[in-house]
Amino acid sequence: MSGELLWWLNLLVGVGIFTLLATSLNLINGHAGMFHLGHHGFWALGAYATAWWTIRLDGELSGPVLYGTSLLLSTGVAAVGGLAVGLPCLRLRGDYLAIATLAFGEVVRILIQNSDKGFLGGSQGVRLPRVFGEFEGEAAKLEFRALSLALVATLCVLAIWAISNFIRSGHGRRLLAVAQDETAAGLMGIDPTRPRVLAFVIGAAVAGLAGGVHAHFEGSLAPQEFEFMQTVKMFLIVVLGGMGSLSGCVVGAFLVVGTERLLARAGGAIADWWQVIFPMVLAIMIVVRPQGIFGRRELSDWFRALRRRRAAP
Amino acid sequence: MTQYLLNGLGLGAIYAFIALGYTMVYGIIRLINFAHGEFFMFGAYLGYFVLRDSGIDRLDLPQPLPIVLQYLAAVTAASLGAATLAVVTERVAYRPVRRAGRIAALITAVCVSLILQNLAVKAWEAKTRSYPDPRLWIAVADLGDRAPANLWIVRPFRTTGGDEIEREELVLSEGDPVDDAARARIRGTPDARVFKKITPSTEVAQGFVLLALVLWAPVLWFLVKRTRTGTAMRAVSEDMDAARLMGIPIDRIVSRTFFLGAFVAGVGGVGYCIAYGQVSPYTGFLPGMKAFIAAVIGGIGSIPGAIVGGILLGVAESIIPHLFRSELGWRDAFAWKDAIAFAFLFAFLLFRPTGLLGRATRVKV
Repeated sequence: MSGELLWWLNLLVGVGIFTLLATSLNLINGHAGMFHLGHHGFWALGAYATAWWTIRLDGELSGPVLYGTSLLLSTGVAAVGGLAVGLPCLRLRGDYLAIATLAFGEVVRILIQNSDKGFLGGSQGVRLPRVFGEFEGEAAKLEFRALSLALVATLCVLAIWAISNFIRSGHGRRLLAVAQDETAAGLMGIDPTRPRVLAFVIGAAVAGLAGGVHAHFEGSLAPQEFEFMQTVKMFLIVVLGGMGSLSGCVVGAFLVVGTERLLARAGGAIADWWQVIFPMVLAIMIVVRPQGIFGRRELSDWFRALRRRRAAP
Repeated sequence: MTQYLLNGLGLGAIYAFIALGYTMVYGIIRLINFAHGEFFMFGAYLGYFVLRDSGIDRLDLPQPLPIVLQYLAAVTAASLGAATLAVVTERVAYRPVRRAGRIAALITAVCVSLILQNLAVKAWEAKTRSYPDPRLWIAVADLGDRAPANLWIVRPFRTTGGDEIEREELVLSEGDPVDDAARARIRGTPDARVFKKITPSTEVAQGFVLLALVLWAPVLWFLVKRTRTGTAMRAVSEDMDAARLMGIPIDRIVSRTFFLGAFVAGVGGVGYCIAYGQVSPYTGFLPGMKAFIAAVIGGIGSIPGAIVGGILLGVAESIIPHLFRSELGWRDAFAWKDAIAFAFLFAFLLFRPTGLLGRATRVKV
């Protein structure tokens, strides 16, 4: 029974982490309209920043402080990474941007893979010390996962709130204008670079945060995890939910991660072919229904419409 | 230093062969064909099967000609296989999305690449296979006093599953004295035959690819500049709509471009796998990526640019880590050589996005 519960908690934390990743990718790809394929790089930066910090300071700081500071560091490191990649790359358009960001993601992985064993673990990966103590028995495991879930859910809510506020801010509106028609926006006196760089940095920071949470939750990291396939998975979530829709990301994360885990658990032919099926779903989706489930709409739009209909006599 | 330069030239020729396909396809339909790496991976697998089943490692003839012929057969099979896969992929996946916009087409290409990679895992397992090396048999009587090379024997071996396989075993290292004890050991093994293994070393493989590039370049030049199809390709790449109005069958020309690009990539694919001695379903990704970078360096859309870019990248990947190691004393420099290509990519995209030989296109609002 408790094994079953553990599995479901695990799944939900996975959904949460991918919700964070997908909303941040969505900000860059959906709202800002920049075709960015290196999100796994920011994720890896965040995860490894947390690993590095936790290993260095284990025992010197108390558990919660260590946890909190490591997440802050992850967010910061990824944001700096986002700035470093964003500033030069944002002069590029469309497919060139895609290839440059993909190259960035791969470079991060290669650098970690070739890193010194004592620094980031190299190709062997690293183990993180458990900041809240090693688990003794099922109950402790259960407690850790439930806590992680609560934390991830909170972070998701915060991230979605922050991103939706950003989009409704002046920068966000300028961003949407630039994404829709750069020339027209430029003629209105909008500088296209600043909102774009901001979106890139915020997206990278949230992905880094997701990396930090992921590192603590899994307890070990290997560079092979942060492969290009992960960005494609995030992309599937974004496209499925609808590019430019935050609600879509949440629904998409549930659909994609849930399907993947449930299939893996059930086994059988579909699970065997999952790696072939999911790029196929993405390709078909992008051709047949490029706007996804939600398009650019949000669940809140729907609630508002419902309320208005009720209010009307 | 010269050694590293030659190495780099060979590696560069491999990149150039692969980059040609990227540049031709990009030139004609403005699509980064992510699946190109998978096309030549597929070709390299066909080459692997040809070499393995034609028995390059079971040669009884000590002449080099059959070995060369087998490699030619492998390269031909690889090229044809890659080209066929490219034409099928273009028809099934790319043609339907050509009108759907560039980003949709690019996502489709990424997906096709992953699908082909994972289909290869399904078909041939995820394991890395070593590329077959030729073996030359030696009669025990010819051995002389000292072993002329590493000498091996093959002996039948029964696996736990009951299958009978052959296993190689080193009996004498190069330069070991061939005394009576050694002879007795070889003779005493039933069915044992002595052979030396000719590993087509990285240098030899790369040398042949370089030679192939020298031979192929004028052929390509002729195809693109002097044939009707080549003229049509250039017309489509210049202006697709105008070309259609002139009665050029766009679909057929695009399909032929894919065929040609993947055909030459087959040569690079086999060369790469021989040089590194192995093939796996993931073989296409990294060299594919680097070859694309080579195409960007040379100026994407330009055929001579792909060759120049490939050579340049290959030489840089070989020379720069060498300099770092010998001049700056950085011992691990070669572990980081994969990052060089990406640094080049960033530098070129920022400072010279049209590449060395590319033309700038003006966008009108």
